[in-house]
Amino acid sequence: MSTEPPPRPSFSPIGIGTESRAPFALLPDPVALFEGRATRFRATAEGALAPYLSFLAAVAEAQGRCAGGIAMLDEEAVARSLAHGMPPIDRQGLKHDAGMDVTVRRFLDACGGVVMPEVAEAARAALLADNARRHARIADALEDAVAMEDVAGFVLAAAGVQVHLAGLAAGLPAAKLAPVGDGACPCCGGPPGASLVVARDGAQGARFAVCAACGTEWNVVRVKCTLCGATGGIAYHEIEGSTDGIQAETCDSCGLYVKIMAQERHPELDPVADDVASMALDLKLGETVFRRGGVNPFLAGM
Amino acid sequence: MLESLSRRAFVRGVGAGLAGTALGFGGSEQALAAEVRPFRLSRALQTRNTCPYCSVGCGVIMYARGDGSKNARRELIHIEGDPDHPTNRGTLCPKGAALLDFVKAPTRTKHPMYRAPGTNEFKQVSWDWALDRIARLMKDDRDKNFIAKNAEGVTVNRWISTGFLAASATTNETAFMTYKAVRSAGMVVFDNQARV
Repeated sequence: MSTEPPPRPSFSPIGIGTESRAPFALLPDPVALFEGRATRFRATAEGALAPYLSFLAAVAEAQGRCAGGIAMLDEEAVARSLAHGMPPIDRQGLKHDAGMDVTVRRFLDACGGVVMPEVAEAARAALLADNARRHARIADALEDAVAMEDVAGFVLAAAGVQVHLAGLAAGLPAAKLAPVGDGACPCCGGPPGASLVVARDGAQGARFAVCAACGTEWNVVRVKCTLCGATGGIAYHEIEGSTDGIQAETCDSCGLYVKIMAQERHPELDPVADDVASMALDLKLGETVFRRGGVNPFLAGM
Repeated sequence: MLESLSRRAFVRGVGAGLAGTALGFGGSEQALAAEVRPFRLSRALQTRNTCPYCSVGCGVIMYARGDGSKNARRELIHIEGDPDHPTNRGTLCPKGAALLDFVKAPTRTKHPMYRAPGTNEFKQVSWDWALDRIARLMKDDRDKNFIAKNAEGVTVNRWISTGFLAASATTNETAFMTYKAVRSAGMVVFDNQARV
């Protein structure tokens, strides 16, 4: 019989008093982002918009194929931007950036196998053949300004710009990012396309705005306008009886709305694909005093 | 500049339309517009508030349905923990989680109620009547039982025969004013938000 005393009981800490705080920014994983988006575009391709959504699924697949291997930004420049409260991705500088042009060309090439209407194919060919035109459309996309004379070219260039910006954002130091202003992405300074209420570990029920261009998600307090930051006069509109978890968050202060998607209840929701697929909501909101504030080049209205 | 403004439209400004029309997917938008014509928009509100139960003061988000027009009554449909609130980060205790039933309870006290000594039922009274009566009873009790000096003759100014249980989940200012009023009357048995 052993004379040793029994081991003392030990207790592991259970985290009383610790606080789970939502991270400020989540960077995109470009390949997974566009592949997931393609899947979602395909899943939503029903009804009146089915042909267009199927086409966008193929576009997102092409985006996913060229989303890897984008060079990281200069570390020193990133640190300088962050030190001065500026978004580290400089959109103005990227208008004439060789790397951006290479990515957009790669994306346009990758669209080669995509079945698309003649107009779209012609726009793609024109962008590839005409350098000045391509540079102009890239600049337009970086400004979120639709070129009315070449909408098709604008949409395709904007899709390419998304690939490059997502690649750049993926290489940024997430923990060092800080808010740069209301309605502005902490990575590229761009406006949000939509916002998501998520069910992630440590961020249950928290809301993240999603950058329309680089796909970065940043934490925005709920019941607050993601564009102007107002906290009063916020309402939620949805099509009566709908259960898709997508609402329009309207703001009385700025008169704009951005869609808010309940990813906590519908994990399949994608801020870009479901934004296009839920265009019915936009048509209904068009009958009210509110105007669309969320940016999405695939919904660039004419 | 003017030329470029007329040539371009900011995506944000133009409202939603289908870029697909320009890409050769014409007709989709018109078909969709015809599809959604019979449907209506519904409007809901989300409002931040503080759970009324205890002095922890958890944040809640209250969901209400209603078109917001002046005469329409809003209907509370859901209450959940506020994920942005530093105290509870979206969590609620069982009592807080049942707040919706608390708000809508048919037995909820909405008016001052009075049960006279020796009777077995409450009757509704006015606020004026209730406050006058409380003040009268407090004054009488304080006049009778106030202790100005203890056995050694030291001034203590205490009133221990009446207690005061005040609100939780109040603001600092309310808690401060309650403290001022109650303690300056000499009351010792007292609890409110300011304790935490």
